[in-house]
Amino acid sequence: MDKVLLKMVVNGKDVEVRVQPTRTLLRVLREDLGLTGTKKGCEQGDCGACTVLLEGKAVNSCLVLALQAQGKRVETIEGLGRPDALHPLQKSFIKHGAVQCGFCTPGMLLSAKALLEKNPEPTIDEIRRGISGNLCRCTGYVKIIKAIQNVSKG
Amino acid sequence: MQRFQFHQARSIEEALDLLSEKGERTKVIAGGTDLIPALRNEEVRPEGVLDILEIEALRGIRELEDRVWFGPTTTFTEIEESSVLKCHFPLLVQAASSVGGPQIRNRGTVGGNIVNASPAADVLPALVALGAELEVQSKREGIRRLPIEGAIQGPYRCVIKGDELLTGIVIKKYPPETRSLFKKLGRRNAMARARMNLSLLVRLDGSGAVEELRVVPGAVMPVAKRIARAEKILLGKKLAPSLLEEAAQVMEEEIVKTTGIRWSTAYKLPVIQAVFKQSVMELLG
Repeated sequence: MDKVLLKMVVNGKDVEVRVQPTRTLLRVLREDLGLTGTKKGCEQGDCGACTVLLEGKAVNSCLVLALQAQGKRVETIEGLGRPDALHPLQKSFIKHGAVQCGFCTPGMLLSAKALLEKNPEPTIDEIRRGISGNLCRCTGYVKIIKAIQNVSKG
Repeated sequence: MQRFQFHQARSIEEALDLLSEKGERTKVIAGGTDLIPALRNEEVRPEGVLDILEIEALRGIRELEDRVWFGPTTTFTEIEESSVLKCHFPLLVQAASSVGGPQIRNRGTVGGNIVNASPAADVLPALVALGAELEVQSKREGIRRLPIEGAIQGPYRCVIKGDELLTGIVIKKYPPETRSLFKKLGRRNAMARARMNLSLLVRLDGSGAVEELRVVPGAVMPVAKRIARAEKILLGKKLAPSLLEEAAQVMEEEIVKTTGIRWSTAYKLPVIQAVFKQSVMELLG
């Protein structure tokens, strides 16, 4: 079966790539577009490491067929800030020591961004619920929650 | 993943045309949260996948005079945030809120929960308790309507045929004094598959006797269904501890009748009984 032309807007830029219908958004982002900041974890929708924003909403990119993103806006961690101009959430994660091995961090940051856009002043319980689809096996979440809370107040 | 052709429909007609021709070899995809893992594990090997997320007529929540209609590709997040559903069917909103994490709720759809017919589905038992009606379309038969109870035949088996498309879900409004509750037990709070859940709907008459009662345990039987024998024990009577005990006992018997004794039975039966008694007390006590 033939490849199909996929057009999307990734981090504000128009991209075009020919993909097999079986490819997930995760695989296309990482393997065709080289955006390896989006992590491949469980590939079953349990860990949240592959979280991206699709039309502004947090989704597991391993559970989206790439062709279902046809014509849509996708935001990955590469679009969140630049090394010389970090996003406030990125700054806060560093300041609060919310990054250990770093594998969950891209997904965690995008879930946090989606949460704060919807609810700029979440309670701690709302933050917990907002990142409940992202597993972190290092931090115990306490510092991640503090980092998000700090941005929400500022 | 076995290779397949990808189709995207923009209208119900377009989808039905394709399904009437290739329905048996085509899988319909909406949010994909159940289907994509199944494709990846090659539990299903369709020749084609039909995306229905772009069909505008399959989305949205519309309040009508005596009922509410919502489209099958309405996501769990959209249900959770709907003021119409919060007002009329809080049971459904609670069930939708308990699904997965935000990423799954943003993507997963109520129609997928029905058609996929997972025995651990959260929204399905709530829809059974609410007496939802399904609107199904095909080129062969046009529109047919069927109650949700009976539409699910077994684990992962829904009566909707290959050439048919679920096009709407309708729930009749009930009197405002009706109370309802959704309880879920998982291995942890977030992202958990239900070990069991319970949807409960109850209304008392002017004298305080039980006028209407619907009890639907989920994830303890192959198919979510009302436990009519347990309901009957309380119907028409005022709540008393001995009656509640009897109803819980009957519920246990009914569950064992369907499932037999399994490795999890020693845990599940006393717990579902306790959850049932607690929930009734919480609603009426």
